[in-house]
Amino acid sequence: MQQNSIMLFFMLLVGIGTIFFVSIFMSSLNADKDSTGVKNLLKKRFWFTLILIVVLGIFAAATLPKSPYFTFANETPSTVIHVGTMQFSFFLSTKPIDPKSPSGETIEIPHDQLVEFRVTSFDVNHGFAVYDPSMRLITQVQAMPGYVNNLRYKFTEPGKYHIFCLEFCGTGHPVMQATFKVI
Amino acid sequence: MNIESLKLKKISALWIIVILVLFIASIVLGILMRLNQGKVIEQSPLTFYTNMTTHGLTMIGIWFAAGMVAVNYLLQRYVKTSYGVNLFAFILTVIGVVMLWITTYAGKFSTGWTFLYPLPFRDLGSESWSTPLFLISLTVLGVGWLVWSVSLMAQILKKYTLSQAFAWQHFKSNASVETPPFILITTVTLIGVIASLIAAVIVIILYFAEYFSHGDFVNDALLMKNLIYFFGHTIANEMLYLGLAVIYEIFGEVSDRPKWKMTWYISLAWNCAMIFILTAFFHHLYMDFVQPQALQIVGQLASYLASIPSAAVTVFSIVAAVYGVKVRWSIVNLLFFLGVAGWVIGGLGAVIDATISNNIMLHNTLWVPAHFHTYNAMGNVLFSLGFFYWFSTQYVDKLVLSKLTKYTLALLIIGGIGFLMAFYVAGANSIPRRYSTYPVELTSGPYLAKVGALFASIYLIAILIFFYNIAKRCFVILSASSR
Ligand code: HEM
Ligand SMILES: [Cu+2]
Repeated sequence: MQQNSIMLFFMLLVGIGTIFFVSIFMSSLNADKDSTGVKNLLKKRFWFTLILIVVLGIFAAATLPKSPYFTFANETPSTVIHVGTMQFSFFLSTKPIDPKSPSGETIEIPHDQLVEFRVTSFDVNHGFAVYDPSMRLITQVQAMPGYVNNLRYKFTEPGKYHIFCLEFCGTGHPVMQATFKVI
Repeated sequence: MNIESLKLKKISALWIIVILVLFIASIVLGILMRLNQGKVIEQSPLTFYTNMTTHGLTMIGIWFAAGMVAVNYLLQRYVKTSYGVNLFAFILTVIGVVMLWITTYAGKFSTGWTFLYPLPFRDLGSESWSTPLFLISLTVLGVGWLVWSVSLMAQILKKYTLSQAFAWQHFKSNASVETPPFILITTVTLIGVIASLIAAVIVIILYFAEYFSHGDFVNDALLMKNLIYFFGHTIANEMLYLGLAVIYEIFGEVSDRPKWKMTWYISLAWNCAMIFILTAFFHHLYMDFVQPQALQIVGQLASYLASIPSAAVTVFSIVAAVYGVKVRWSIVNLLFFLGVAGWVIGGLGAVIDATISNNIMLHNTLWVPAHFHTYNAMGNVLFSLGFFYWFSTQYVDKLVLSKLTKYTLALLIIGGIGFLMAFYVAGANSIPRRYSTYPVELTSGPYLAKVGALFASIYLIAILIFFYNIAKRCFVILSASSR
């Protein structure tokens, strides 16, 4: 559950930040009249900046390779699903979809195999977001008119998956959804 | 008091009153949205989305304007600014906002504040005239703000050379001319503002070109998305920097602390910030896999880098100014200090989301409104409210912290935290943003929306009290005569 770790990490940072700002504020309330505050500011600033740069550098180095553009990039997908989107529906098909008369079919995807979704739109921008059976967002990509975005994924759990639109596309946006099965 | 400065005071007071009235109206729209998502009230999707569009556009507009008002007012300390241009911007802003509300409420224009191409051409349920009127109202606002920014920039460049305005001479050991930090930050910010408004003008032209070509000319969706986010992201960030310029200028004097002097690292930090902030917008396109990968990487790196000068220079300086020293706390510097804390916390949420491998889990979930409301509602708004207080109390020689003020601040903090937490938790629960109502499967959505509405109402009470205090004094300024 990546989201849980994100939330936990964020709350940790918020906690540290809050304690930090509150203690700075309290230190001012409790200070004597003639105290002059922090000494050696430039040196402290230098170390603070250096630590910040190192921490951010480590984060960037650790997270960039995990970007979705690189995952499964060297494998060949065993299944290809074409996804067409239109206000306010999804069409999923194993065959290319005709924009003039789009139609979809019931989709079943085998688990533990690499699938590639080729996602496009026939009108405005839409989103293609996959939710697992426990209704957690597990992967997503945009559906843009004139472009095809390829999204690769390996489902591990069989079950019913939901697709929601995650790019605002008009009044029907919240009801735009579809489902597929992982077997 | 001289006529010129009285005129500037009056127009600033007028701006402040109008901004706060629009702020209160927009908060009410925000609460209505949360109530609808919580199923406490039932509005049609079209009504929800016109409210959402109006709320977003108005909020961005007024807080940008608030930053400009403050900067224009304080700039008077260093250079002469044009009263006529300020008034012109005010008139165009009022006309633009009225036209916007007509397009959304009479024309049912409801594309969200980002009006992502080609949605305005396929905006179901809206009147056909609403799209051109929307583009015209954006043009009116854009012209007003562009003229204003360029005019302020020109006044700065009359006194300082360009390299002095960027404080480049401070990289050498003995600078002969000192550039005040306020001038540097204002310069850097105005350049960003002007760049973003130029992008807006290009977007508007491209929209009109397609609109009048009747199908012969079709825009490229990826290019339009890049342009729109260059505009939207940049203006939303620069308005925060306008607030920071104000803090650099008056935090010291309201706190009985020495004013910050220009140093090489302040100069370096803001010059870097200017570049990073203009390239960070690429993080809005992470989920467009057809975007060149190099730009995606630039997006993450620039987003990370943008936090370094902010934290190492601005936040560090404010913390150092307060740590362990007696500060004369008043509502003004309390709002500034609290705003900096909110800005930092919102920034943490932003950096997490600007990480591509997290973005795939958070993109267009409520995590996004969560973090940008943090540095707006609990950051930038407080910077501006602090300025409004400071501005409106200039006739009063002492800013005292009354009990009522303390309670009001407590309400603001409690309301703000609750309202934002409901957004963050929903975002981590994969609840999408911009849903008028939630699919039954997403069970925590409506519940969290109700929590958000409740706490937002507490926030609103605090804002109403602040409004009463500030507006009352602004009316006194408006009716003052020159003596
Ligand atoms: C307590 C005050 C506020 C409340 C209750 C509120 C509420 C909301 C809500 C419910 C949404 C829609 C979230 C969704 O996507 O489902 C929203 C969106 C937004 N809000 Fe606020 N908000 C407040 C303050 C602000 C402030 C101070 C700003 C300043 C910039 C702001 C700017 C925006 C923007 C730009 C959007 C996005 C609109 C869009 O998606 O097109 N809000 N707000
Ligand atoms: Cu949609």
